[in-house]
Amino acid sequence: MSTEQEQKKDEVTALTFEEAIGQLKEIVARIEQGEIPLQDSLEQYEKGMVLIRHCRGILQKAEKRIEKISKEELKEPESQNDT
Amino acid sequence: MQTPSQTRTKIYTVTQVNSLVKDALQANLPSWLTIRGEITDWKQHQSGHCYFSLKDEESILPCAMWRSNFSKVKFKPGNGLAVLVTGSIDLYVPQGRYKLIVEEMIPAGMGALQLAFEQMVRKLESEGLFSEAHKKPLPKYPQRIGILTSESGAALHDIADSIHNRWPCTRLVLYPVPVQGPGAAEAIAAAIADVNRRNDRLKLDVLIVGRGGGSLEDLWAFNEEVLARAIFASRIPIISAVGHEVDVTVADLVADARASTPTKAGVVAVPNREDVLSDLLHQERRLGGSVRSRFGLCCEYLETILASSAFRNPLLAVRNREQYLDDLGGDLDDAIRRGFFDAQKQIQNCQEQVARIEPHRLLGRMTVELNHWAGRSLAAVTLVFNRKTLQIIAQENRLVGLNPKSVLNRGYSITLHKRSGRVVRAVKDVQIGDVLITELADEQRFESKVNKIDKG
Repeated sequence: MSTEQEQKKDEVTALTFEEAIGQLKEIVARIEQGEIPLQDSLEQYEKGMVLIRHCRGILQKAEKRIEKISKEELKEPESQNDT
Repeated sequence: MQTPSQTRTKIYTVTQVNSLVKDALQANLPSWLTIRGEITDWKQHQSGHCYFSLKDEESILPCAMWRSNFSKVKFKPGNGLAVLVTGSIDLYVPQGRYKLIVEEMIPAGMGALQLAFEQMVRKLESEGLFSEAHKKPLPKYPQRIGILTSESGAALHDIADSIHNRWPCTRLVLYPVPVQGPGAAEAIAAAIADVNRRNDRLKLDVLIVGRGGGSLEDLWAFNEEVLARAIFASRIPIISAVGHEVDVTVADLVADARASTPTKAGVVAVPNREDVLSDLLHQERRLGGSVRSRFGLCCEYLETILASSAFRNPLLAVRNREQYLDDLGGDLDDAIRRGFFDAQKQIQNCQEQVARIEPHRLLGRMTVELNHWAGRSLAAVTLVFNRKTLQIIAQENRLVGLNPKSVLNRGYSITLHKRSGRVVRAVKDVQIGDVLITELADEQRFESKVNKIDKG
């Protein structure tokens, strides 16, 4: 049971913000329209809350930092020959 | 060996040297020069004096135009403009720099760069590189943004700040590139191609290509074809952020989106985190609210079900069904019995009817009837016959009565003249001596003679 939940959580954390908020809005719309059974709506609600936590987590990761493309990568031979 | 300072006796000051150069220039140059060139680095000082440079493909010549002369110029000079100027060369002794002191300035058609820009726009536009159909949609919530600009320029920080102020939850990745000078366009184009090639590792959602403001020449890299084609070919959406608001470059036209300046890049590239957070809160409330109301509805529904008679008295339903079943059984029994009874009765009726039409009885009845009618007819005939017989007898009797001779039976007689045979009716019919015949009943006759006549 717990591994299943963890698996679900992992699925959510792999989502991009855009995917997560897209899924969240779908869930909200589905539950609001009452077109899914009660049991499913509870599962969807739980998933929705996980999605919200995931989205908040992404938004709170504020890191004012500029990463520079690594020099090794810059030295790739194709980048020099390609115009 | 002697050093040059030891062989030359005269020692000059810096000022003396600059003055000598100035004299040499003025002595050897024509006093008036008319020069064709393109204006660059145009600056008009508060004093009203103008400082700029003229350039061609290879060289640059610093110029100054004093306020009094500039006031006679009718058009508005600016960078990139090709002009014909007339003036003289002067050396500014304190700095040892020479300048063209411009007396007159007239436009010489469009500047070469400006012309080149317009030609490039026309060419790429006709190829459809600026078409809206080719613009890639920008990601709504970028998490990794690539910035292609100079590492040392102010533009990098303008872009980074404008993004972080709105959307701090993104990773910025700098790809340092030269943004002006020869080879800059090629370098930026190569960087775009490189990033695209490696993006399965870099995972950049969007690229920002830009630099700060400058002259048309400074921005020229962003007008070059090689960069325009690299931007067009990029699979990663590209935002251009070049120069000031008024500067429009070919890169701006071909990019998927344009930020008018590097400081506006954030508005174009990223949403506002506060807006997204409040939307998230809104979604959370809707989610919770709808689940709660859904739950409430289900609970109410459950209550209604529990309150129904089926749950309050579960056996009632069974009893009701049993009763119904019993009723049905009874009905079935009755129906069968009734059906059976009806059928029996019908059979009996038929039998009786059949029995009633026994042929001998029928014949007997018919005989009786026939006899009856025969009797009646005979009686009727007899009656008529008797009645007629009686009538006949009556008539006969009357007829007999009418027979004159029949009177004789009652003691009467008829007197006839024997001679004439006539009936004697009166005294006058007879005379004394006449023979008379008297006829009696049964035709018995006798004769007599008249002896006396009494005359009344």
